[in-house]
Amino acid sequence: MNNVGQSIDRVDGKLKVTGRARYSGDRSLPGLCYGYLLQSSIAKGKIQSMDVSAAKSSPGVIAIFTPFNPLKIYSPAQAGEEGMISGDMIPLLQDPTVDYFGQTIGFVVAETFEQARDAARLVKTEYQAQPAIVELQAGLGQAYAPKSVSGMGATVSILSDGVTSIDEALRSAQVLVSATYNNPIEHHNPMEPHAATAVWNGDQLTIYDATQWVQGQQRNLAAVLGVDEANVRVLCPFVGGAFGCKGSMWMHSPLTAAAARRLNRPVKTVLTREQMYTGVGHRPSVRQTVTLGATEQGELTVVKHEVFSSSSRVKFFAEAAAHRTSLALYKSPNILVTHEIVPLDFAPGTFMRAPGVAPGMFALESAMDELAVKLGVDPVELRLRNYATVDPVHKLPWSSKHLDECYRVGADKFGWSRRNPEPKSNRDGDWLVGHGMATALYPAHRSYAEVKVRFQSDGNVSVSAATHDLGTGMYTVLAIVASEALGIPVERIWPVLGDSGLTPAPVAGGSQSTASVSPAVVAAADSATKKLISLAVSSTKSPFSGMKVSDVSYANGVLQAGGKSVSFESVLSGLDRSAVEGSGTASPGEEEHKYGFLSFGAQFCEVRVNEWTAEARVTRFTSVMDVGTVVNQKTARSQVIGGIVFGIGMGLLEATKVDPNSGWIANRNLAEYLVPTNADVPHIDVEFLNIPDITFNSLGVRGIGEIGIAGVPAAIANAIFNATGTRVRDLPITPESLLVEQKGMA
Amino acid sequence: MKAFSYKLAGSTDEAIGTGTQSAFIAGGTNLVDLMKIDVMEPKELVDINQLPMRGVTIDNGVLRIGALEKMAYVAEQPEVVQNFPVISQALLKSASAQLRNMASIGGNLMQRTRCAYFRDVLMPCNKRVAESGCPAFAGENRMHAILGASNACCATHPSDLAVALVALDASINLQGPKGTRSIKLEDFYLLPEDNPGREHAIEPGELITGVTVPHTNWYRRSAYLKIRDRESYEFAICSAAVALDMDGLNIRDARIAAGGVGTKPWRLPEIAQALIGKRVSQETFEQAAEIAAKGARPLSQNGFKLTLLKRTLTRALVHVGGGVA
Repeated sequence: MNNVGQSIDRVDGKLKVTGRARYSGDRSLPGLCYGYLLQSSIAKGKIQSMDVSAAKSSPGVIAIFTPFNPLKIYSPAQAGEEGMISGDMIPLLQDPTVDYFGQTIGFVVAETFEQARDAARLVKTEYQAQPAIVELQAGLGQAYAPKSVSGMGATVSILSDGVTSIDEALRSAQVLVSATYNNPIEHHNPMEPHAATAVWNGDQLTIYDATQWVQGQQRNLAAVLGVDEANVRVLCPFVGGAFGCKGSMWMHSPLTAAAARRLNRPVKTVLTREQMYTGVGHRPSVRQTVTLGATEQGELTVVKHEVFSSSSRVKFFAEAAAHRTSLALYKSPNILVTHEIVPLDFAPGTFMRAPGVAPGMFALESAMDELAVKLGVDPVELRLRNYATVDPVHKLPWSSKHLDECYRVGADKFGWSRRNPEPKSNRDGDWLVGHGMATALYPAHRSYAEVKVRFQSDGNVSVSAATHDLGTGMYTVLAIVASEALGIPVERIWPVLGDSGLTPAPVAGGSQSTASVSPAVVAAADSATKKLISLAVSSTKSPFSGMKVSDVSYANGVLQAGGKSVSFESVLSGLDRSAVEGSGTASPGEEEHKYGFLSFGAQFCEVRVNEWTAEARVTRFTSVMDVGTVVNQKTARSQVIGGIVFGIGMGLLEATKVDPNSGWIANRNLAEYLVPTNADVPHIDVEFLNIPDITFNSLGVRGIGEIGIAGVPAAIANAIFNATGTRVRDLPITPESLLVEQKGMA
Repeated sequence: MKAFSYKLAGSTDEAIGTGTQSAFIAGGTNLVDLMKIDVMEPKELVDINQLPMRGVTIDNGVLRIGALEKMAYVAEQPEVVQNFPVISQALLKSASAQLRNMASIGGNLMQRTRCAYFRDVLMPCNKRVAESGCPAFAGENRMHAILGASNACCATHPSDLAVALVALDASINLQGPKGTRSIKLEDFYLLPEDNPGREHAIEPGELITGVTVPHTNWYRRSAYLKIRDRESYEFAICSAAVALDMDGLNIRDARIAAGGVGTKPWRLPEIAQALIGKRVSQETFEQAAEIAAKGARPLSQNGFKLTLLKRTLTRALVHVGGGVA
């Protein structure tokens, strides 16, 4: 059963395309009523009054909760248990302070969704507004260095012997480039809106909640609701995309649960697309200055990467753009990263696909391209000259690094050698054609996981853990790994996940699920097999009764000994047993301190820019990834393609537009917040090196959920420079940035 | 969405003359959207889908398009594709396939602006609530108009089709309590001036029955160029509808209009005039396009549209007329 590394259809695909996969908002329960969030329309101030009289008498309204009639919710900050992440750190509806536009200031419950929404619009809120700072640029004066960024100090400095400061190192650099790059706020916009359906049975809460972390949500909900963790069960078998915005607890979930408790009825809340722009996080805006010093031969002598990222005043979040990139990618004797937080009167930010890395790699890999141009060195060659063979901070070797191979294979597949480095040298009619490349990287993480494998008398095997399938393919990964470990076809493996009552697995974040859970599947399969054999030899009714454990072998679902060969289902049926179960765990070990763990990749693209009207379109994309063992070619490829599409959006389209005067968001919908359409996405050629990283875990698996986006905006910007001779350092790259500078382009 | 009543009109006479609190509904792709966000709150919807305002025909020197024909259907008619490529292209570059299958021609011409302030009842908007103010001038105005704005409103007109039709001197046919009438589409659209809420020269109860476009052989040499941030399902940041009447390499006549830059579909007769009698060349087109931005008033975020408008027109003219060595 050689399934790992094949291309296998999603085992849950049929359920999804036939509409039988039920998501958190699809649950219907007897007596269900509907919650609707009421959000603030000012960015800062105090609510003076809320007149709910008209709303209360509106048809179907059951209850209206406001700061003046709150549901009891404990502050997540006070509740603060270890490992707890909460998107909102303020106890909503507990006091009339408004800290950002779109803050939840009320919760309306009615018999139908429409009735709740209509009633919410009848609530008349009077505010005492105060001036607000809602944009990074306006808040720079209040910037401060936080205590820590990505587990390190806000400033990390590596200086070679005898060098006393980064500026000294810069003064002695033969060649310098320095530039500032800007990213706007971006939103995740998963297809599935956040939804929670809560039902109480006595003091037991069951909540169907769209989340990347069922057990984290369980802990958080228990804490803010003031109930015992054992009394909360979070179910989330399907997630329609998340990208980080379902990794934390957001306030609609506890409000829904608290309202259900108060009203003694099940309550369902589905967020509208508009509400998702302020209620469930975003990627902060980032301003970065990268200064590179090098020798004339193109060897880096200094990497200086300074970051300002926006953060809500009420919830700290650092978009660690320098720490997660410049401390890992290049060999340089002197490296300085700094990070400052710009506090804004704006909704809380959160993890968004490749947090820190996505904006950080845009700046660093654009700067490397600027250096390549200045030196007249090929961009791939420049990167090879500065190839880090050890982790630049801890000087540890990499567990497995084949980035040089990614560059080489990618360059071959893309036809990089035919690229003309001279800008504006390549045209097709009135389209200027450019080629660009950038590196991709993303840290490899893994956490403790425990899996159960259960042989069933019906001939199937279930494999379960409290992990998640965000559309990422985890159901299929579980089935493939168990299938391979047990020698049983994928069709007979029943993966179970998305239930906080299952054995522990980490948050589906940080690209860690496959690396964390897969080794535990193998361990659990081993344990279940041992249990099966032990049962077979110890039961008198078994054909293997009385044999030694060591005499019985297991292969492909069949026990063999003494000339007998019996399938596990026959053994179980013969014993009137419905199942036998084993469990296995896996966790990182000593290797954590001996190696650096990263995934790598190389991104190559072709972009066309119209010489008259300056719209840029990506027309070709090649991506080569060094991500360890690929468990399922099909879903892995989809993951990387999805990341690249995300990157095309980040490079050319995506920006959350904030009214500088009011904090109001102008494009809180999918018509005006632009993401790529099919017409914007060319054929994307993805190749995996597929070299197992067995230092990292027994299967050699690293993560792939986020690395796809890394480097994509830089590859696009670099290709645009090659096409037009214009360097654009602000995302997204829209026609005006190319029109303005490109006088005489036509 | 506010509660409303619904009536299916069995005849045109039954439909027209309905009150000011009513709205006609055909495809509903814009109206229902706006009702959902409380921007439009008709008390009554009068469904006109069963009325006989159909057909796409060329007859007696005019193209007639029934107001209820769907965008997708009109775009694909061979007589439109061959004789009026600018119309077909403008339709196909609008919205998405799903929307084009639902949306009617009459409804397309009546669609409301995409200005985000107009579309959010949290914000003031002079078009939605008279004299409530306009935050776009000091706020998000990248997509807004550089031509035809008043101090009250700078919202762009969103229709691509209207730009093509205005370029070709189309007329709109109306039927109301006082009978039928036909007016130039260019005059049908009103400048915002100090009453941006009034967008059309249409009287209460009047119904759009169709569109008439003069049929001239040389409209075969026409095109619609739409510049947008993404390749599909997006409104124009700038667009150009051009048609050229050529005698060899000489320009006999021209029809030109621009979209995405005006508070209404922006006809550019001065450019057409400047081209007449000229020999095609890139230089000729560039010089003529210079006229386009005359009187333009850029806002804080959309100054680039001055350049983009000229470039879009030039690119479209070069495409239709040739002239690049």
